[in-house]
Amino acid sequence: MSNPVTIIMIEDDEGHARLIERNIRRSGVNNEIVAFTNGTDAVKYLFGSDGTGLAHKGNALLILLDLNLPDMTGIDILRRVKENAYLKCAPVVVLTTTDDSQEIKRCYELGANVYITKPVNYESFANAIRQLGLFFSVIQVPAAAT
Amino acid sequence: MTPEATRRRAIGQILLLAAGFLVLVAISTASVLLVNKASEDSGRVVHTVEVENQINALLLDIRRAESAARGYLLTSGPEFLRDHEAAVATIPANVDKLAQLTSDNPRQVENIRKLRPTVELRLDQFAREMNFVRQAEPDSAVALVREAVAANSSNAIREIAATMRSEEDRLFALRTGNAHRSQQLSAWVTIAGSGLVIALAGISIFLVRRSASARDDAEALLRDNNLNLETTIDERTADLREANEEIQRFAYIVSHDLRSPLVNIMGFTSELEELRGDIFQRIASLARAQSSAPPAPDNATDSAEPVLEGADKQLSQDFTEALGFIKSSIAKMDRLITAILNLTREGRREFQPVQIDTRELIEAIVSTMAHQAAEAEATIHIEPLPDIVSDRLAMEQIFSNLIDNALKYLKPGVPGEIHVRGRTKLGFAIFEVSDNGRGIDPRDHQRIFDLFRRAGSQDKPGQGIGLAHVRALVRRLGGTMSVSSELNHGSTFTTTLPIRWAATNRNRES
Repeated sequence: MSNPVTIIMIEDDEGHARLIERNIRRSGVNNEIVAFTNGTDAVKYLFGSDGTGLAHKGNALLILLDLNLPDMTGIDILRRVKENAYLKCAPVVVLTTTDDSQEIKRCYELGANVYITKPVNYESFANAIRQLGLFFSVIQVPAAAT
Repeated sequence: MTPEATRRRAIGQILLLAAGFLVLVAISTASVLLVNKASEDSGRVVHTVEVENQINALLLDIRRAESAARGYLLTSGPEFLRDHEAAVATIPANVDKLAQLTSDNPRQVENIRKLRPTVELRLDQFAREMNFVRQAEPDSAVALVREAVAANSSNAIREIAATMRSEEDRLFALRTGNAHRSQQLSAWVTIAGSGLVIALAGISIFLVRRSASARDDAEALLRDNNLNLETTIDERTADLREANEEIQRFAYIVSHDLRSPLVNIMGFTSELEELRGDIFQRIASLARAQSSAPPAPDNATDSAEPVLEGADKQLSQDFTEALGFIKSSIAKMDRLITAILNLTREGRREFQPVQIDTRELIEAIVSTMAHQAAEAEATIHIEPLPDIVSDRLAMEQIFSNLIDNALKYLKPGVPGEIHVRGRTKLGFAIFEVSDNGRGIDPRDHQRIFDLFRRAGSQDKPGQGIGLAHVRALVRRLGGTMSVSSELNHGSTFTTTLPIRWAATNRNRES
């Protein structure tokens, strides 16, 4: 990635977080990864203490989002990100265990850019994450609106 | 209100009406009879008066004759003679008429019988008087008049007439009384009858009003009950739906949450596997270094399995075996969780009743399984099947599962014979899928319908989901499912489904 894109990983399961990070690194992506294990902290980071998201003005972000969080649903975070003037351009990759077609449809309707189901089979899982890493290394992420 | 009471009330009203009619008819008849009697009575009264008149007329004529005779005797004037003769001429006619009028009364007949000779005697005397006068013997005539007075013939006539009159007076009083009584009776009957009719009408009105109010009460009660019943049903339905949704949600969440740790277990097991490769490679290179064998170039052995000796080799094999068990267990668990997820998803699907050509549906299923059937050397016979109204996808899943099972559990080495039969009975279609396969032990007949349970030797792939799924579908379609089978003698799965299934409350999800 050309400019320093920060990858925000919101994933409550630390094991999953570790596996995801490891596989992203294996694909050769060396960007900074900021991990959150609950929705509240992630929201606080994304939107700042004033809740406007002004803090990330000019930053390039890429969000990796799990839907099943202990304190809120990832869908809420997705909706808020896509409604926020500064964050709405940030690509959101939904990475979750849910493969319910209704849920998938809803995420895309809300503006998710990619939806990936975590396969239990580790090879598929690792493969998916590595390909995602490759994808990260080629996509252009716009800076948040100034 | 009990039906018995309703029936009694209806009969009571009919009886009341009948009684009212009877009373009216009785009053009419009595009135007609009494009016007839009254007119008869007045006729008799008139008759009595007539008789009295006749008696008076007779007496008057006799008197006229008498006084004219006397005038003639005194003056010998011819006008007296004419008057006398005219009077005499009417007397017998008057007597006859009187006799005729009184012929119904034996007493008056007796009186007439007495009257007649006296009248004749008097007439005879008149005739003789006249003769003497005409022959110019007035003395003889006067003597005759005296004799007549002495013989009292006129008095005798008057007495008889008086008797007759008193008799008629008696009759008059009697008949007037009768007529009066008849009229009074008629009045009373009319009054009593009218009173009775009014009373019956009153009772009728009372009964009708009472039954109308009872009916209104019953209607109100019925309406209330209906409302209550509907509310109760709605509540129960809502409860059931809620419970069902709760179960679905539970299964869904549990299976999801189970999946998450499974990803970790699988992931880190795979990581371990890689670590294992690294570890044993190092062990191998260390062992080689110790045995001071010529070291192989690092790059060459990187990807290949390191060459191990003795105990190290055993260790590596044990490690591989343990990881293999863990991974296969995880894979199995993943399949089960996926199955549960699919079942809950099926349970959420809404069924659409459509007209289904059952034979066409089964033929389509059979054609998709032609390859399997050929491999198993099985033939599938489809016999005439009744068409039904049901959910098409559910029907497809039911029969493809049953036929798939029939093909899967054939006896090895025996060509399969699979029959699909159908018939109807009392609004239900009964379908049978029978085979000549390996059969099911009767002890397992209930188990095979349970989730994740299988019977017989576990030599075929499967999760133990198919029949559980089929039975759940059949139940949702309002039907039942049973099996009859003996070990080594084939199985028959019987599915009973309603011919016309309509989505009911139970199956309608909010």
